[in-house]
Amino acid sequence: MKNKLNLFLLISFLIALVLTIWLNYQVTNRVGDLSFNKEIDKSTFKVCDEKRIPQYYSTKSNYQGGKKAIKKELWKTTEQLNFGNSGFITFRFIINCNGKIGRFRIKTIDSELKENSFDSLKIKTLQASIIKLQKWNAGTWKDKTLDSYFVLNFKIEQGKITDIF
Amino acid sequence: MKVFLKILKVILTIVFFSYTLFVLYFLGLAPKEKRFKIAGHQQGVYLSQTMFNILTYQNPNYSDAYFEQSVPFNKRGDFATGFQLLNKAVELDPSLHLGYRGYMKLRFLRDYKKALFDLNRLDSLTPNFTDAPWGEDIDFLRGECHFGNKEYQKAIDCFNRNVKNNKEDWVDINTFTYLGMCEYELGNYEKSISEFNRVLKQSENTPEAHFGLAKAYLKLENLDKVNEHILKAEKSIDYKREDPYKEFQNEIYLEEITEFKQKMNQ
Repeated sequence: MKNKLNLFLLISFLIALVLTIWLNYQVTNRVGDLSFNKEIDKSTFKVCDEKRIPQYYSTKSNYQGGKKAIKKELWKTTEQLNFGNSGFITFRFIINCNGKIGRFRIKTIDSELKENSFDSLKIKTLQASIIKLQKWNAGTWKDKTLDSYFVLNFKIEQGKITDIF
Repeated sequence: MKVFLKILKVILTIVFFSYTLFVLYFLGLAPKEKRFKIAGHQQGVYLSQTMFNILTYQNPNYSDAYFEQSVPFNKRGDFATGFQLLNKAVELDPSLHLGYRGYMKLRFLRDYKKALFDLNRLDSLTPNFTDAPWGEDIDFLRGECHFGNKEYQKAIDCFNRNVKNNKEDWVDINTFTYLGMCEYELGNYEKSISEFNRVLKQSENTPEAHFGLAKAYLKLENLDKVNEHILKAEKSIDYKREDPYKEFQNEIYLEEITEFKQKMNQ
């Protein structure tokens, strides 16, 4: 009887422990989180608070002059590129609390909104031109600047970039 | 002491099992509407996604769950996943979700043709009813689609229909801003000015209208009016149309106004 009770206690404890660890993982991770990957991310780019990186729409992080200004500044690069097909290239990255950007991740879709692949060298050219942009405004919360995730889309029609937003 | 230890063990066993049962009930057995609400409030958190996965597994026709599950993916730039879920919601209940999908294609993807297709399909499913996808009049959204496609006369027709639907004094004033922009693009500068003035009649502090007037008066070479309205645009910029999620097609920035002024002064 005593052994049975100990066994029940052990089993119930282990199940509760595993469940708690799983729940903790479930509530501390979010769709679109970008964790540091030493294979692709520059170690010189630092976020100010790894545990708290909200989305651009919660912090009003932006580029001076909006995406219209980005479009204007990138136009020389973008008008030279031809991706062959239609679709969208989406860059997701972090604007840190000092207004620096890094930790880029890219998703591409075709015009039917299904995952596809565009020429990776041309995507790298795009990324290099984004890195050169200097007028990022870090997000703010209660008068303090903070890190935030940002999304930048490139619309491609018949190979050419026709819009950035 | 032994009895106390035994009682303690029994209590702990009950507590641990109760906790497990509570979590399992919360995830898989509570009323679906309650779970939907909780998962929706935790938008983007993995637990929310897990709860939606359980909900749609248990209720394969629960279109709202697919729709709500799609939201964080699309907001965060994972459109392949987001639209896969949203397409499922539309497939299950087109009249309920086509409007939102059209809205998303318009504002988040600027895919004007496909947005228009969804909005027109929604309209055909709801005869004699003026739809308002995501709270905006369907003709206003269709007007924005045509504007994006550079089909300015079609855009004008839609925006005018929106005015008719909602009446002059109640309609979203951006309708008049777009009408002014469309007339400007068509080279009808006098008409463009009269449309922008309809905006100002409702709200003097509308920088988009003042900026539009400055551009239209420049075409008509009325420099006094250009200066008057560019200054008013600058002064009222804090009242501009903006949204935390997306840049509007007719969104303006102080930098543009400053640049315009500098060109005027050269």
